Amino acid sequence: MRAICTDKWDGERISPSAFTGPDTSVSRLAVFPLEDHWELFRRGVQRPPERLLSLMVEIGVGKLAQLGQTHSPPAEITVEADAVEWNRAHAVMPGRRSRGIANRILGAAHRHLPPCEAVPGRTR
Amino acid sequence: MPVLAPAYTQCAYRLAENLQPPSEPDRLAHAEPGSAAREELLLAKLGPRGWGRLHHFRRFYSPGWGEGRGRSLSPRATEAFFSFLAAARFPEGVQPSLFLTDEGGLELAWEENGEAVQVAFQPGRLELYRKGDGTDRELPLQRWDEAAQHLCP
Repeated sequence: MRAICTDKWDGERISPSAFTGPDTSVSRLAVFPLEDHWELFRRGVQRPPERLLSLMVEIGVGKLAQLGQTHSPPAEITVEADAVEWNRAHAVMPGRRSRGIANRILGAAHRHLPPCEAVPGRTR
Repeated sequence: MPVLAPAYTQCAYRLAENLQPPSEPDRLAHAEPGSAAREELLLAKLGPRGWGRLHHFRRFYSPGWGEGRGRSLSPRATEAFFSFLAAARFPEGVQPSLFLTDEGGLELAWEENGEAVQVAFQPGRLELYRKGDGTDRELPLQRWDEAAQHLCP
């Protein structure tokens, strides 16, 4: 799970640099369920009013590895556990990735919008 | 019984004249030369959304932003970004998105015939990407003109 804040989302497009690195921060759903990640990311990565959590994107470790292997030239994409004070589920995708791979990751990732109650003025 | 400090008054002490705060008209910020032209360029090429985002990135993203590793906006990357913007011709009706990279660079993303095109101005290098022809490479930052010619001639 990757938090996408306002620096990487302008309401229309997601920045591929969210996955180019270096050392991309992610969080593991195996440790905390998806619903808990909203609160986790709001506390850990949001800095209101300038940096707000906009979206979360989800992609599996196996899918990441497959995208790397099938890319030309192939690249190894790994995820390493890296628990931090605010998030036991925190992990890192070490190193840098090309824009081509970052775009493929974004294309394959599932986007999660914030729950309705978190968006002022939005109704279910 | 606690003793309260006496309230400060204007005549508690007096600053020497050259240490006095500037008079009201002097508090106006002085713009850098050419900044008005840059504002117009930003608005013309990226619209109010891009204009606002750049000001936001400049003003609020100090070193350590994000999860503690984000760098503030690089002046070199910003220079290359404006040079590129002046030379670039984006497809009709397309307004690129502007992002701040973790390394303190700026990134533009748009579509051409439905295919993604991107350029990132990182401190020290450019990252070019165009899905349509398989472009995915880096150039030194000073070669922004080559990037503009290749991505949006």
